[in-house]
Amino acid sequence: MIAVELVKLFRRPRTWVTIALLNALPVLVAVLLALTDLGPRPGEGPAFLSAVLTNGNLYPLAALAIVLPLFLPIAVAVVAGDSVAGEAQGGTLRYLLARPAGRTRLLVAKLVAAFVFVLVAVVVVAAVGYVTGSVLFGVAPTGTTTFSGTTLSSQQIVVRTLLAIGYVTFSMLGVAAFALFFSTLTDSPLGATLGALAVLITSSLLFTLDAASSIAPYLPTRYWLSYVDLFRDPILWRDIVRGVGLQAVYLVVLLGASWANFTTKDVTS
Amino acid sequence: MPLLRPRSALRWSLVGLLVLLLAALPSLVGRLPAADADRSAADLRAAVLASGDVAFSGYAQSAGGLTLPLTDTFTGIADLFSDRATMRTWYRSAQDWRTDVVTATGETGTHRDATGTWTWQYEDDEATRARVFPLSLPIAPDLLPSDLGRRLLSQAADDELTRTGAERIAGRDALGLRLVPADVASSVSHVDLWVDAATGVTLRVEVFGGDASAVGVVTGEPALSTGFLDVDFTEPAASVTAFTPPPGADVETDEGLPVLDGGRTPDQSPLPAELAGLPRQDVEGVERSVGVYGRGITQLVVVPIPGRFADRLRGQLDVAPGAVLDDLGVRLSAGPLGLMIATGPRGATYLLAGTVTSETLASVAGQLPTTGGRG
Repeated sequence: MIAVELVKLFRRPRTWVTIALLNALPVLVAVLLALTDLGPRPGEGPAFLSAVLTNGNLYPLAALAIVLPLFLPIAVAVVAGDSVAGEAQGGTLRYLLARPAGRTRLLVAKLVAAFVFVLVAVVVVAAVGYVTGSVLFGVAPTGTTTFSGTTLSSQQIVVRTLLAIGYVTFSMLGVAAFALFFSTLTDSPLGATLGALAVLITSSLLFTLDAASSIAPYLPTRYWLSYVDLFRDPILWRDIVRGVGLQAVYLVVLLGASWANFTTKDVTS
Repeated sequence: MPLLRPRSALRWSLVGLLVLLLAALPSLVGRLPAADADRSAADLRAAVLASGDVAFSGYAQSAGGLTLPLTDTFTGIADLFSDRATMRTWYRSAQDWRTDVVTATGETGTHRDATGTWTWQYEDDEATRARVFPLSLPIAPDLLPSDLGRRLLSQAADDELTRTGAERIAGRDALGLRLVPADVASSVSHVDLWVDAATGVTLRVEVFGGDASAVGVVTGEPALSTGFLDVDFTEPAASVTAFTPPPGADVETDEGLPVLDGGRTPDQSPLPAELAGLPRQDVEGVERSVGVYGRGITQLVVVPIPGRFADRLRGQLDVAPGAVLDDLGVRLSAGPLGLMIATGPRGATYLLAGTVTSETLASVAGQLPTTGGRG
C-alpha cells in the first residue's frame, strides 16, 4: 500500500510543479546575486547568503534558509493536507477503506508518502542549490569561515551540510504531522492545509513576543533555524537537540491523534 | 447515543494520556527540589571570590530592561542593557577564556589570552586586537553570572549579605545569597545571587533597582538578570579558547575609548578625593583626570569630556523621557543606572555614570571642580 501511495504521489504533475516552484525563488536569488555581485552583509538576510558570493558550496544552505520560513512549510502542508481529506473530497476514501488493508495501514501509507515528499523536496532544494551555487559562484579553494571565525575544509562543509539537510527534513515532518492530523478531521484538503499553516503562523508570531517567552520552547517553529548552529565552532548542539526532541513530541502526539480519529470516524465519502 | 463509542473513547484516552504526560514532564523536572546547605552568607561570598580558578563551559542568557537613550553614541551599551543576549562561554582561567554572543545569523566572540583580547565579529568579518584596559565600557562577557557575581561581591561587607534558600539552576544545586547595599547613595535596592554549592561559581544574578520612578523599573522585576541555562565543570580545551584571525578577515587594533582616557582635556582641575560622600578609588592605570568613586555595587565614574562630544550626549539625554534638566546639567535614571552630563560654572563638562541615585548625581555635580588653566 505504501508503494501504491508513493507512485500515486510522484505521478501527479502537481507534486513536481510544487517542487519546481519551491526551487524558483532560490534560483532567482542566485541569478540576481551573480548578476549584481551585491550580497547582504554577514548576519543580514537569510543565513549563509552573505557567504555564497565567495563560496558556492554554501548555496544549498542559503537555499534552505530562503524557503524554510514560508515556501517549504506551505508545500509540505499542501501535500500532507491532501492525504486523507483529498480522498474524502474526491469520494474515493470509502473505496480505499473497502479493501481489507485496514485504516491504520492506509494512514501509515499516507504518512510515509508525506514524509518521502518532505525528504525529496528538501534534497531537491539542496541539490539545485548546490548546482546553482557551484555554477554561478564557484567553489572556494580555501574552505569557508564559520560564524566563530575558524575555517572549515570542504569535507567538513559536506558533512555539516548533510546534517543540516537531515535536520530541516525532520523539522518539516512536524508540519506534515499537523497537516495530516487536520486532514483526518475534515473532508476539505484546503481546510487541512490552512489549519496547518494557521498553527505555524501563530507559532512564528508568538515566538517574536517577549510576553510569550515562557511558551516559546514548545512552539513548533521555535528551533527550525537552529541548523545554522552546525556552522559554529564548536557546534552548538543545544537547540538542535531540543529541535529534534520537540518535533519528535509533536510527531508522536499528532500521529497518535490522527490514528485515534481516523480509525474510529464515520467515513461517508 | 453516547458522544464517543467505547473503542473511540479508549483511543482518544490513550492520546490524551500521552499529551498529559509529555506536557507535565518539563514542569516535573523543573520542580525537582534543590538541596540546601548549612553555609553562611560570608562563607558563600568567600567561595564566590575564590571561584576564579574554576574551569567550566556554559550557555547563558542575560536580559536587561534598561532603556538607555544613547543609541547614537554608545550603541553597544544601549543594546547590552535593553536586550536579551545569548552567550556561550569556555573558561580555563582569568587570562584564558572565550565568550561568544550568539545570534540567529552570526556571533561576536571575545577571546582572552595572557596579553589581551581578540574580538571576532562575524557580521563585519573583522578581528580586533586589544590590550587589557584598566577601565573600559561594559561588554556582553561582563554580564556572565560567573564574572558579574564575583565583581558584585568583591567589595561587599558581611552585614550586607543574607542567605535566601536554594534553587535548581542549570541542573545544579544553587545556594541563594542576597546583597542589600548599605550605602544610601546606591540606586540598587538589592541583588539576588545563586551560587553553585560545589564550586562557588555564580549561576544566576538578578539586580533590582531601588527608585520606582526611574525609567524601566517594574516593581518586583529585576532591572537586569543573567543566568546559566547549561553549565559543565569539565576544563575546556585550550584550542577552543585560542583564536587566530581567519584568512581574508579585516584585522584591527582597539586603542580604547578616548572618552575614558580623560576626554583629552589635560587642563581640567583634578577631581577631589571624595564626592557626595563617595570615596575615590585608586584604580591602577586609569588617567588621573578620570575618577572612580564608591564601593562594591555602588559605583560612579566621573569623566571630563570635550564639548562637542558632550553636546551630542546632552542632545540625546535632553529628549529622553524622565530626564531632569536644571542648572547642573541633564540627568536620567534608567533602572538602577544613573547618567548625567554635568556642566561646571566655567563650561567644563563631565559625564557621570554609575549605580547611584538621581539625588547623588545632582550632589556630585555641585561639587565638581571648574576648569583649570585656560578656563
